Amino acid sequence: MSEPEIKPEIMRISWGPQHPMSGQTRILLDTDGEKVHRIIADLGFTHRGIEKILENRSLIGGIVPIDRMAMVDTSNISIGYVTAAEKAYGLEVPERANWIRSLVCEMGRINSHLYAFGLQAESTGYFPAVFLWTTVDREVLLDLFEELTGARWSYNFFLPGGVYKDLPEGFKEKVIEAVHYLRNRFQNYWTAMIENPMFEMRCNNVAVLKPEDAIRLGATGPSLRGSGVDIDIRKIEPYAAYADLDFDVITEDACDVMARTKVRFHEIGQSLNMMEQIAKEIPEGPIKTRFTPFMRAPEGEHYIRVETSRGELGIHLFTNGTTNPYRVKINPPSLRNMYVFERLAELDEIMVADIPVVINSIDPWYLDSDR
Amino acid sequence: MLKTSISNLVKSVEDIISDEIESVEIKDEKYVSITVKYDYLLHVAETLKNNLGFTIPVACGGIDYLDEDKMQMIYYISNPKSRFIITLRVDIPRNSPQLPSLTQVWEAMSFHEREAHEMFGVEFKDHPNMVPLLLPPSWKGGYPLRKDFKGEGIK
Repeated sequence: MSEPEIKPEIMRISWGPQHPMSGQTRILLDTDGEKVHRIIADLGFTHRGIEKILENRSLIGGIVPIDRMAMVDTSNISIGYVTAAEKAYGLEVPERANWIRSLVCEMGRINSHLYAFGLQAESTGYFPAVFLWTTVDREVLLDLFEELTGARWSYNFFLPGGVYKDLPEGFKEKVIEAVHYLRNRFQNYWTAMIENPMFEMRCNNVAVLKPEDAIRLGATGPSLRGSGVDIDIRKIEPYAAYADLDFDVITEDACDVMARTKVRFHEIGQSLNMMEQIAKEIPEGPIKTRFTPFMRAPEGEHYIRVETSRGELGIHLFTNGTTNPYRVKINPPSLRNMYVFERLAELDEIMVADIPVVINSIDPWYLDSDR
Repeated sequence: MLKTSISNLVKSVEDIISDEIESVEIKDEKYVSITVKYDYLLHVAETLKNNLGFTIPVACGGIDYLDEDKMQMIYYISNPKSRFIITLRVDIPRNSPQLPSLTQVWEAMSFHEREAHEMFGVEFKDHPNMVPLLLPPSWKGGYPLRKDFKGEGIK
């Protein structure tokens, strides 16, 4: 007579989409006491069918819906689409326009990382004030965006062949001023957050993602670089002005939540350096090439990779000689990272209380993964 | 130097699996497109992963050619060392689109195959968890990204 098998008591918890930390998604957690056995992501709450919408619009008209893919990171998303459209039309971009694009992209990256960083602080439960700090500091950038593009969110600023407007008078000085202000602030963040023992306790050695697992599961962006793999599309296939800008690819070897947070932190520093460099060295010249807005794009296909704040975004644009694209395949970074999040419970021991911390360290953006 | 290494890649692809592919072409500096014969998809995928080091699964998705009465599945995979990206393409008939699931090779294709299943109606054999990813489970309105989708909603 064999002994009866003792099975762990599994309870399934539905987390989100109303939970303040979950974003627009639902996550099912199979828990055994405090330990999470399995994570199941239920995506699609914000699916708008952007790929289908793009098929029914002209190439230029597509810039507006694609901006809605990630509200906090608009510039980095739309540069991928616009670059693909440029290739389809065969347009050259003037050098100054490329530099302005890089400036807007880096401002967007800081904006997005600040938001992620604030959420990360909030999710540990100890630092609600830091979320307010980052919100206030993002204002500095949003004001710059407003002055340059006319909008604080979703700018529709990039056009095939260039950018919509030139830098306003005195803008470069304002950029440098903002860079100095933010650099000062980051000293505070570093002391208050990264070096804080309480934050360390919540983040060190939590949700370890080893490099080989990160590659196997298709992690991208800071989640991948937090595992020590130095893949950054800005270096691999430089677009906009990144070939001329000085920056390092940030990696951390600890592979845990803290490493991913630190990667974002140091990337903000790199982006600030780039903003300063652009403000000082931006070349003079025209900012756009003239083209007819409803031009027919010749038949062909173009695959563009860009590095958004969350990782590698791929835009595969098929054109068939009409004004509309035949198909636009978007490979969003957040969908790849969500899969990593689903598998994390198998790779490392995760507690229920760690779930908000872990998911914010991956920094998914559901508008992006759901499209 | 870069050019030679990407032509090396094309050469080794042609050496190892020339019988199983229809064409291979260099599309860009770091971007190669391989069209594979329908029967050999799984084997080519395994070769790319094990022999040529393409271990990063990026995504996969379909494209519908209504006029030619066919669909194409495109797998995007990348190499963590050389950072090349490959699009692995396979033509499938439009009326019975069936493919082996490449989750056996790249586990992370799971989400993307679920999406291709609900958007294009492609059946993936041996997929571990074929439930809708983005559309609601009760969706009966057809396959949204096919070209003949009218968008009339749920009846």
